[in-house]
Amino acid sequence: MATQEAATTTSPAQNVHPKLQSKSPSGPMAERWTKHKFDLKLINPANRRKFKVLVVGTGLAGSAASATLAEMGYKVTTLCIHDSPRRAHSIAAQGGINAAKNYPNDGDSIFRLFYDTVKGGDFRARESNVHRLAECSTQIIDQCVAQGVPFAREYGGLLANRSFGGAQVSRTFYARGQTGQQLLLGAYSALSRQVGLGRINLRPRREMLDLVVVDGVARGVIARNLATGEIEKYAADVVLMCTGGYGNVFYLSTNAKNCNVTATWRAHKRGAYFANPCFTQIHPTCIPVSGHYQSKLTLMSESLRNDGRVWVPSKMSDTRSPEQIPETERDYYLERKYPSFGNLVPRDIASRSAKEQTDAGKGVGSTKMAVFLDFRDAITRDGEDAIRARYGNLFQMYARITGENPYKTPMRIYPAVHYTMGGLWVDYNLESTIPGLFVLGEANFSDHGANRLGASALMQGLADGYFVIPATIAAHLAGRALPAVTEDHPEFRAVAQQVTDRTQRLLGIKGKRSADSIHRQLGNIVWNQIGMARTASGLQSAMRDIAALREEFWNNVNVPGSGADLNQQLENAGRVADFLEFAELTARDAYEREESCGGHFREEHQTPDGEAQRDDVKFQHAAAWEYNGEGKPETRNIEPLTFEVVKPAQRNYK
Amino acid sequence: MPTWLQKILSSSLGKKYITAITGLLLVLFLVAHLAGNLTIYADKDGSAFNSYAHLIESNPLLPLAEAGLLVLFLAHIGLAVRVTIENRRARRSRYAVANDKGKKTTSSATMIWTGLIVLGFLILHIWNFRIGKELAGESGDLYTLVKSELRQGWTPWAYVVGMGALGFHLWHALRSAFQTLGAAHPYLDEAWEKLRWLAVVLALGFASFPLYFLFYT
Amino acid sequence: MSESMHITLNVWRQKNAQEEGRLEAHACDVSPDMSFLEVLDVLNDKLVSEGKEAIAFEHDCREGICGSCSLVLNGQAHGPHKNTTTCQLHMRSFKSGDNITVEPFRAAAFPVLKDLVVDRSAFDRIQQSGGYVSVNTGSAPAANAVLVPKDDADSAMDAAQCIGCGACVAACPNASAMLFVSAKIAHLGLLPQGQPERKKRALAMVSAMDREGFGNCSNHFECGAACPKGISVANIARLNRDWLGAVLTEREERKDQGD
Ligand SMILES: Cc1cc2nc3c(=O)[nH]c(=O)nc-3n(C[C@H](O)[C@H](O)[C@H](O)COP(=O)(O)OP(=O)(O)OC[C@H]3O[C@@H](n4cnc5c(N)ncnc54)[C@H](O)[C@@H]3O)c2cc1C
Ligand code: HEM
Ligand code: FES
Repeated sequence: MATQEAATTTSPAQNVHPKLQSKSPSGPMAERWTKHKFDLKLINPANRRKFKVLVVGTGLAGSAASATLAEMGYKVTTLCIHDSPRRAHSIAAQGGINAAKNYPNDGDSIFRLFYDTVKGGDFRARESNVHRLAECSTQIIDQCVAQGVPFAREYGGLLANRSFGGAQVSRTFYARGQTGQQLLLGAYSALSRQVGLGRINLRPRREMLDLVVVDGVARGVIARNLATGEIEKYAADVVLMCTGGYGNVFYLSTNAKNCNVTATWRAHKRGAYFANPCFTQIHPTCIPVSGHYQSKLTLMSESLRNDGRVWVPSKMSDTRSPEQIPETERDYYLERKYPSFGNLVPRDIASRSAKEQTDAGKGVGSTKMAVFLDFRDAITRDGEDAIRARYGNLFQMYARITGENPYKTPMRIYPAVHYTMGGLWVDYNLESTIPGLFVLGEANFSDHGANRLGASALMQGLADGYFVIPATIAAHLAGRALPAVTEDHPEFRAVAQQVTDRTQRLLGIKGKRSADSIHRQLGNIVWNQIGMARTASGLQSAMRDIAALREEFWNNVNVPGSGADLNQQLENAGRVADFLEFAELTARDAYEREESCGGHFREEHQTPDGEAQRDDVKFQHAAAWEYNGEGKPETRNIEPLTFEVVKPAQRNYK
Repeated sequence: MPTWLQKILSSSLGKKYITAITGLLLVLFLVAHLAGNLTIYADKDGSAFNSYAHLIESNPLLPLAEAGLLVLFLAHIGLAVRVTIENRRARRSRYAVANDKGKKTTSSATMIWTGLIVLGFLILHIWNFRIGKELAGESGDLYTLVKSELRQGWTPWAYVVGMGALGFHLWHALRSAFQTLGAAHPYLDEAWEKLRWLAVVLALGFASFPLYFLFYT
Repeated sequence: MSESMHITLNVWRQKNAQEEGRLEAHACDVSPDMSFLEVLDVLNDKLVSEGKEAIAFEHDCREGICGSCSLVLNGQAHGPHKNTTTCQLHMRSFKSGDNITVEPFRAAAFPVLKDLVVDRSAFDRIQQSGGYVSVNTGSAPAANAVLVPKDDADSAMDAAQCIGCGACVAACPNASAMLFVSAKIAHLGLLPQGQPERKKRALAMVSAMDREGFGNCSNHFECGAACPKGISVANIARLNRDWLGAVLTEREERKDQGD
């Protein structure tokens, strides 16, 4: 572990796994980040030019990190899976980004954002990281405004804010319903500037397929050129993985279709511990599935719950059209169960309640897998024009997808997977258990615990990329001479060969089924057993079913075409293969975590009135899974969590 | 060539600027030309037209103006042809189904063809009244010359076709040029939408002369 | 609601940039609730189960924001509707019995890589030439230090909504990229943060655009009609203005810029 010592600012905790030292600084919470930055050694500008940084992924985290490190003088190479960095998944975020600016003067502060995030995460996040995130939030807004991000403004020319996701202060900055797009375009423009100046070597249409570890240190990756099929080697002094979340293990999710777990899973198999894979977030207001061909789910902003009322018919299997169901035969179940928060309960509670209703046979629509979100009363109260002004584009989107008019008939909504809190385990420096491999953004597990608050993921991606990694990268690079490793190193050749072999193996199966059809089937298992409510027996059966499906995949998948060409079926097959391995670990993680917290709800662990029951004695920790080789069970290591400032309490939204 | 001109000519936008400016100057010329020609209708014997023609011909600046016009035409045609060739090169393979979303007009899609027809017309026109006249060594009454030329065989019909093409050309040109010059604003755009009717006025105005001579004299 | 429809797709198949392409007909039974890309998914599943090569097409977000999808349906970029990307187009917009010809975006600057996938990296190179505000991380002033009139911020946002899909190029009879470039110029040019580099940006982006082999703008305005985000052609006029101003007031030191 000598390699990691350079940046250790506290002495290693004695009772903690040696690889899971959080390296959180000590001292007063509000001073930790400043102190840590001071304690980290600086790398002088002349030396920065000598270090090769490899960034994988160009979402908010990857683009921001690439641009900033290049500005600082590092030699940056950035791999982008798309034809252009601007298409990364972050582009789709709608609602907004939090920052503790307290412009509305409604009592917000860095401390309050920190507090809300720790509590919202149901006490499963590392306090020091969360505080740093809240601190960076204000600088992010400054940076984005300077780049020309056209945030919403008040008439006086000042920035506008709104409250989001049930927060009691207005701390969310937004650019219409396209905040993610505008933030990503800002980061993309900074990245483009560095590419234009020759400081970033941007490689579009490259998918990372494996990590190369030399003498225990991450030294590069193997990637496939998606346009030509060529397997390429990229050597570097440090690797930043910014490859996003794994929500697509559910097949149907609000994630973009190319989002996948391959990068993080491959790194995991090379020694990076995977933390809390079972912490997944299900968003309550999505447009429901319409048929077996469904490829993707569309999120509808949570803000709709400010004016829409959620209900189902009181009678089971009621087939009347909603207008015909009289008031007395409607069950506004959120208002009934949670009189004080009503329709504005947090995401996990709203989602789970919808599932309860459909499970009880009260679902609506042709598939019966939906509940109503009704604007009738709001329209009567405020008028259709007011509602149109507030939600016009969302209503339009709904009408376009469903062919129904939501001003006349209630919307049908259903929960869908939206975000994954789990990810590769990282310490306070964002370094994984493989020295030299840093993980940023949604790909890491760090800041949101068991549940993420609305508008906080964009904040985290940009904090990691613009402000955290530029400082903490020194933990790995400062004051050490890394042995020179080039693409000719035997380890690079060996890993490249393994990647090639795997590709050939996929092409050689020549079975009957498309990878996509197997992915759909996997999604079904994961959604049913590792979705909104989980049970020990369900998880056990999931593990068995996933293993069997994996078998089916390796025997019966068909990948037409060749490897030396643009071949989307091949790309997809490789991703599905990794999801099939990863899903089993997710089930196992959910199985072992015998408590309910945040997005992880174990039916065996609920309060008498059906709320999540945490077990802080046994599970106040992050579970970090260690890969032990093909076919061997993984080891569950833990990083204990301590709460020095925000004291754990039961969430209560009654 | 000064560098700024070089820069302009080497840029797509510069070429368009010059096409638009030369085009608009040519439109101004056409307006003046039409106004002058309307003297044909002032009387039956053409004396008004003849004295107007005399006024122009006796102006010592005439050669200069003619040279200017020639430069405008050459610049406009040269750049327009070049721009069109570049445009064709930018889309080598055609769509199997030709379709659009309804903004393109016959007028905008045929600029090069209507332009070339106008060019053909111009050659005929200049032959008729300038070179032809000089070669024949004729002198004196322009009105009589116009009248006889415009009643000869297919000439009047060629004029009508030429002016039809001009109308089509200018219908798009008059809207397009201001956009090219950057003069767009909701109010301005409204004005340009009205101004494009000048294309119709010019086309009908010029086409009226051969028809007049053919049918009314 | 979801009775099945029969349609015929004539899909452009092309092995790679070098080889000639051709249209290939496929009969499909579809549900009116399917999105157009889901029809291609189902067709691909069928092709794969028959051991044939799937149709390559680009997509990612499937909700109209990433700009990946890039199809021309019956000669119209992104299909028949206004303000709609292909991924947001549902089959209820067609009739049973319809023939739909599916082609890639065609432009010399967007070479076909395979089937319906084209290379749009020219847009990135234009962006790299100047589509940014030069501000290093950490050097930004406080966010509210510069006031931005709401109308300007809104207009900037109108232009900034561009998703970079390239439908403007695909729809333009000249394959011109003016709408794309002008949207970026307008977005940054309308904000105070974009002023210092406004002229330089216009010159650099226009010459980068010219280098890529896009056509010239003839003001057909098909780009604006095809744009899934409804970006206005008024931005093109703004670019024309900015560019002329920049050329006429350009200083010597700009030699390294542009061309
Ligand atoms: C519909 C939707 C709405 C959202 N709205 C909000 C919101 O309003 N506010 C908020 O705060 N958060 C929101 N989120 C969450 C937020 O958008 C994401 O968590 C965040 O953008 C993640 O950023 P990132 O940089 O970590 O990863 P991403 O943006 O996901 O980028 C990772 C990129 O890496 C690529 N990649 C993956 N594997 C590889 C590989 N092997 N090789 C190369 N590249 C690879 C991926 O394709 C992806 O483009 C929303 C999410 C969704 C799905
Ligand atoms: C009296 C004669 C003419 C007048 C008044 C005239 C006027 C104009 C004007 C105002 C424009 C608009 C420029 C713009 O789009 O910004 C234009 C465009 C054009 N002109 Fe002419 N023109 C004339 C003759 C010709 C001739 C002889 C040609 C021969 C080739 C020609 C070819 C074109 C073409 C191709 C364009 C379109 C360029 C483009 O935008 O793609 N014009 N003309
Ligand atoms: S797939 Fe993203 S815009 Fe169509």
